[in-house]
Amino acid sequence: MDAAALLGQLVVGLSRAMILFIVSAGLTLVLGVLRVPNVFHGSLYMLGAFVAWTVAEAAGFHPAAFWLALAAGPVATALVGLAVERVLLSRLYHREHLMLILFTFGVMLILNDLVKLLWGPTYRSLVPPPSLQGAVTVLGVALPKFNLVLLAAGPLVAWGLWLFAHRTRAGKVARAAATDRDMVAVLGTDVSRVFGMAFALGCLLAGLGGALVAPTTSITLGMDHSLLIDSFLIVIVGGLGNLWGALVGSLLFGVTQSVGLLVWPQFAVAFPYAVTAAVLLIRPTGLLRSAW
Amino acid sequence: MSGWILVGLLAAALAVAPVVLPPFLLYLLALILVTGLLATSLNLVLGYGGLYQFHHGVFYGIGAYVAAVAITRLDWPAWLAFAAGPVAAAAAGLVIGFFCVRLSRLYFGMLQLSLGSFVWIVALRWYPVTGGDNGIHGIPVPAALQSLPAAYALVAVVVAGCLAALWAVVRSPFGLTLQAIRDNPQRSEVMGVDVRAHQLAAMVLAAFFAGVAGVLYVALERSVFPNMLFWVLSLEILVMCLLGGWFTFSGPLVGAAVVVGLRTLVGRYTEYWTLVLGVLLILLIFFLPEGIMGHLQQRWGAHRTVAPRPAPAGDARG
Amino acid sequence: MAARRWWVLLAVGALAAASVAGAGAAPAVRFDRNIKVGVVDTYSGPPAVFGNDALNGFRLALQEINRDGIHGARIEFVTRDERFSPEIGLSMARELVLQERVDLLVGTINSATALAISAFAREQRVPFIVWISKSEDITGARGHRYVFSTTENTAMAGKALAEAVARRGFTRFWLAAEDYEYGHRVTNSFWRFMKRAKPEATLVGQTWWRTGEPDLVPYLTQILQARPQAVFFGTGGAGMANVLRTMQVIGFAQRVPSAIHTAIDVTVLRPLGAAAPEGVFGTTDYLYYYPDTPANRKFVQDFQAAYGSPPGFPAFHGYITAYFIAEAYRKARSLDRDRFVEALEGLRIQTPVGEVEMRACDHQAVLPMIFGVTRRDPGFPHLVAGDPVVLPGRDVMPTCDDVRRAREQAR
Repeated sequence: MDAAALLGQLVVGLSRAMILFIVSAGLTLVLGVLRVPNVFHGSLYMLGAFVAWTVAEAAGFHPAAFWLALAAGPVATALVGLAVERVLLSRLYHREHLMLILFTFGVMLILNDLVKLLWGPTYRSLVPPPSLQGAVTVLGVALPKFNLVLLAAGPLVAWGLWLFAHRTRAGKVARAAATDRDMVAVLGTDVSRVFGMAFALGCLLAGLGGALVAPTTSITLGMDHSLLIDSFLIVIVGGLGNLWGALVGSLLFGVTQSVGLLVWPQFAVAFPYAVTAAVLLIRPTGLLRSAW
Repeated sequence: MSGWILVGLLAAALAVAPVVLPPFLLYLLALILVTGLLATSLNLVLGYGGLYQFHHGVFYGIGAYVAAVAITRLDWPAWLAFAAGPVAAAAAGLVIGFFCVRLSRLYFGMLQLSLGSFVWIVALRWYPVTGGDNGIHGIPVPAALQSLPAAYALVAVVVAGCLAALWAVVRSPFGLTLQAIRDNPQRSEVMGVDVRAHQLAAMVLAAFFAGVAGVLYVALERSVFPNMLFWVLSLEILVMCLLGGWFTFSGPLVGAAVVVGLRTLVGRYTEYWTLVLGVLLILLIFFLPEGIMGHLQQRWGAHRTVAPRPAPAGDARG
Repeated sequence: MAARRWWVLLAVGALAAASVAGAGAAPAVRFDRNIKVGVVDTYSGPPAVFGNDALNGFRLALQEINRDGIHGARIEFVTRDERFSPEIGLSMARELVLQERVDLLVGTINSATALAISAFAREQRVPFIVWISKSEDITGARGHRYVFSTTENTAMAGKALAEAVARRGFTRFWLAAEDYEYGHRVTNSFWRFMKRAKPEATLVGQTWWRTGEPDLVPYLTQILQARPQAVFFGTGGAGMANVLRTMQVIGFAQRVPSAIHTAIDVTVLRPLGAAAPEGVFGTTDYLYYYPDTPANRKFVQDFQAAYGSPPGFPAFHGYITAYFIAEAYRKARSLDRDRFVEALEGLRIQTPVGEVEMRACDHQAVLPMIFGVTRRDPGFPHLVAGDPVVLPGRDVMPTCDDVRRAREQAR
């Protein structure tokens, strides 16, 4: 294998890793702050993609509406997440933990069937505007232009999350609540509102991942399946609730798969899982310190 | 002892079922019994052990797959293969449990979910052995089991035996210690109980009985599928325990009957079965968190078989 | 459907009646009840597009058939949604046979489900006709007395595509496929027949990705770097749409010739519109615009009038399945399952693409394969098959000896 090929595969693997990061960051955020593994996170990812498509379609697939469509996905999922949290989930915080997990499973079952009801079984495509169609050659590899957007989006989201966690009051409270929620409550902060916000932000990230992936793939029912498993594994490998852990895990996943293709193409599919297994057997609580 | 009279009546009903039920309902009853055993085995670690067993379906699938592979690929005699299934499931329970019991509750569940996903991926990818996404079909079972009433009889007898064994386990000193650990792990630790060893033993036992359920599934359906190892099935078993009441012994059985029955009934009229299940689940969480049997027991003041209400969420970080 | 024009029904009915009249001088038989067909297929999730298309074709044919009935009986059907999951499919089939007491089973798009139901059908001695799923094992290694196929299978597809591609002089190949039953079967079959047609063909490498893989760019760029002379893709449905879209974006087909079974198919190309690449070699067993014969034109017109869009290949399979069932019962003159099986063996019927035979030795319908290269055409909203060539069914089917050997080996 030559160096150019290796670099090329790294680049294409990175853009996949960015989607994984955006989605699993949302998952790990909710896990860290609320301690709920949100099983309907994948459904929101799918919903984000479908909403983006619907908005683009309503605008007649006009190129100018493309970015609006991409924004509509995450906004819609954040609103769905907020509504579910405020109306139902927030009433369950005092309950057995397992109930919270089963609750999110119930929402997943409902959301998946609602998407089926609303959009039907046909698969959709969202075509990017002409300026982003086609490919550019990066390091000798033809990379779809839209993947450049993905490469930029990942670091931007990471930066935004860092700002939120360290520079805003809500972020600081969320971090504190992740460490010791009783203490924060005693200090007189309305933990419930912070939970709602963190949950909505997590859901926003799921929708953002879905909207960003929409122009690169077929938008179908069931597109959430493999992604949900991958993000759970990433979150575990990275350390539950640790945002940087999600980044490390995503890079590990995206890159081992694309580089694995050069080494052993027939079994590249299994590479990320083998890495996860290895990490977990050595460090069952993940690579980075978990948030709690 | 009205409880024993009820058990006697149920046993009598199971015994006459092959005579009175049309074939499809007999098959459905057998399926409910298999699923009920699976859910009851989960409840040993979930309800009685307080462990976040998120991926119990893996042991069910391993039991079924090992039996199926032993028969079709290794040409083992069917009875030997049937015995190998639960043993393999118990071994898997030992390995997965070894890594999981060292962790706190949620981490326990998440790690189990990921380790279980590997098993699922192996079943899905290892075409020459597992048949990949096809699964294995038309598994030759002994001639004595080929008719539906015969398969039903095997299922009914084995499930009854396993439930009796599980009941004995729950009532044994081991079972009582397990419940004490669930209610207060710290105190148990201080009192000199080896918490992890008890939890691991419970996991191995539960995996064994899940493996038995898997083998019975093979005897009944003569097929295995990768979805038996998929996490969605595991959560469905959790829902069955919740629905029936996971602080009762009979709850999971009742939950399995309701879910399997509803799925068959609703599946006939609408393709939106999962929507129905989702709504049902959320209603349960809000209005009947103690489950059907838990509710009945509270209502009719039957003696408490098991422990008090669940620990508050504050303990979840455990 | 109510929307259909009555005179079409009349014309078809008259034709059907004429054929019945011509067929029988034998004493009249009257069935004492209707024939009940149990349809198990995927009606939710992405593959539902195919399941619904097949069911529409089936319905259209039943409207025509039931006008005159079969020995006084009509064909009724009930459907069950297997949600692309073999264990649900199997339990649905069990319910249909044990509870609904259907006379025969029909389905499904999912090869895994088809194989599961096939094992059950054999055990219960219930006829089962497979109409979309293409695993060659269904009528090959795991075929039996009660299973039939009215769809082309991976052996036929692989052979047709391999022979067409072999003529173009490539020798260094890459195989890339989705990791599921159909992907494995069609890829293995392509390569088997390629080696037979061109023993000097060599394999540069192969890639497998899991079903539902959203981002195929790493896979395709890696293949480009390995520089094979041609690539075979083993994929279908939504996965196929992803392959074609990614090929178009990174200009794959212009750099390496690519062959995919069903790449020229309308059900694949229609949803993609302009996002599909030109220059891809493909095969299918049915196109609504080719061959442009009166029989095909009439089927397309009727279908379009009833459902608003032209039929895809599943609709064609659904349509001929209904006619195979009807003709077999006519010939059997009995509702007995074994008599039905015997009547269906070797049966020949007229279809929109000409006469089709249900081969007696393996219960596989002898269907022609169309080979073509995708290209834009201003007359169509989607890409079409350029330079189509029809390969007769008997040339692309495995021989009866092949099938017998495969079945013996499986045992």
